Amino acid sequence: MKNQWIEFISGKVTVKVTGRGIERFLNVLIRNGLIVWNVKRHGTETITFTMRLQDALKIRRYARERECSITFLKRAGMPFLFKRLLKNSGFVGGALLFLLIIMFLSNVIWGIEIKGAKPATEYQIRKELDKMGVKIGKVQFFVDNVEGIQRKLTNNVGNLTWVGVELKGTTYHLQVVEKKEPEKPEQLAPRNLVAKKKAVIDSMYIETGQKMVDIHDHVEQGQLLVSGVIGREGQTEQVAAVGEVWGETWYRSHVELPLETKFFVFNGQEKQKFSFVLGNLEIPIWGFGEPEFKEYETEKNVNKIHFLKWELPISIGNETLRAREETIRTYTEKEAEKNALELAKDKIKNGLDEEAIIKDQKILHKELKNGKVILDIHFKIIENIAVGQPIPKETTE
Amino acid sequence: MAKKWGLRVRNWMAQKMDLPQDVMMDLPRITMIGQIHIYIENHRGLITFTDKELRLLLKQGQLQIKGKSFVIKTILPEEILLEGKIDQVIYINDNPGGTK
Repeated sequence: MKNQWIEFISGKVTVKVTGRGIERFLNVLIRNGLIVWNVKRHGTETITFTMRLQDALKIRRYARERECSITFLKRAGMPFLFKRLLKNSGFVGGALLFLLIIMFLSNVIWGIEIKGAKPATEYQIRKELDKMGVKIGKVQFFVDNVEGIQRKLTNNVGNLTWVGVELKGTTYHLQVVEKKEPEKPEQLAPRNLVAKKKAVIDSMYIETGQKMVDIHDHVEQGQLLVSGVIGREGQTEQVAAVGEVWGETWYRSHVELPLETKFFVFNGQEKQKFSFVLGNLEIPIWGFGEPEFKEYETEKNVNKIHFLKWELPISIGNETLRAREETIRTYTEKEAEKNALELAKDKIKNGLDEEAIIKDQKILHKELKNGKVILDIHFKIIENIAVGQPIPKETTE
Repeated sequence: MAKKWGLRVRNWMAQKMDLPQDVMMDLPRITMIGQIHIYIENHRGLITFTDKELRLLLKQGQLQIKGKSFVIKTILPEEILLEGKIDQVIYINDNPGGTK
């Protein structure tokens, strides 16, 4: 027996044949390879049967040779369903449009909620978000991803310590931690101030405590600067010594700077590419071909498409190709020396408190070797050398 | 005379070599499932078909099937599957002695 479903896919037709010599007509059909089934007789001159759609087109030719008239009664199968589908394509189109609209709306930003920020900061954040294009009504694809927003916000809004950005459905939730928390009064344990390193005392400012050294004194590391034990002898009292002791300290630094440096700069030319990403498969939809520039860097962003609250397995990929150029920076010997010195200063400052001042620097050694300037520099720095040290218990007794 | 000789040789071969008779001698092979189905292979075309009677041409003679509410489920150049209530299957020999 043959499979009904194959006939269903290719389409089948019920045919009514009226006339004489129907049996002979059937014989002719069969011998010519037309497949016929479900043959039924209705009365003396009529039979009905079912046949494949592609055979039904040929049947007229054989019928013309005989005295039979043919009527097609019922059409079934995919080709007819498909035809009907085309006729009713409005419905299908409407359904598709509906899905598309829902999908589009699921990818629009519908809200931005900021928590934990003062009104002033919140306003600032909102302004920053506006600048980034994160606004209500914008499509999420054309907006940075969550990490990007987070990074930009922390960089651009000054008084933020941390901001957590989370995308829940169509709403961005921002959790903000501001820098200026109310300061807690410090409860200090009794302590002395000692020298952090070898120095010559430059100036002193002491809030509480007993001064133990004088200006221009030379102190060693760990030497007692301000004592936390105050009061007359016999009636001593222990307090937390508070104060700043500024001392001149010395650093040596070694820097090397090549005269010629190669690096890449972006020249502003860029090309955007968009594609659908389905698992590992990528279907480009916009921006074809190779960019017209040779040297470039590629930045890739993948945005998931949402449907209501679900994430679809399809995402939209956005590639930005930025043209870059190689440039060579060349210094003369003098420039190199100046820059090396700046470099050394920056390096030193990184290791120091913000308040430290570079008082003086002296180049100890200068050398030009292998296209590099090598400098050894001696720095004189004024910095706070006082650090707290708890008073040992024994002294209280 | 020659045709009869050929028939005899084939008949003899079918017997001696244990071959199926229908293949060797172009006889119809009829399979029936109760009264409801009849499957006939090796027919030579349709002669009559009504809902009470089916007549098939064979190589020799005809085959008549009588019954009720016949429907031809499938028909191919040499095969036919008939459905309905079958009462009789009759061989009609135009020239007696044509069969074995």
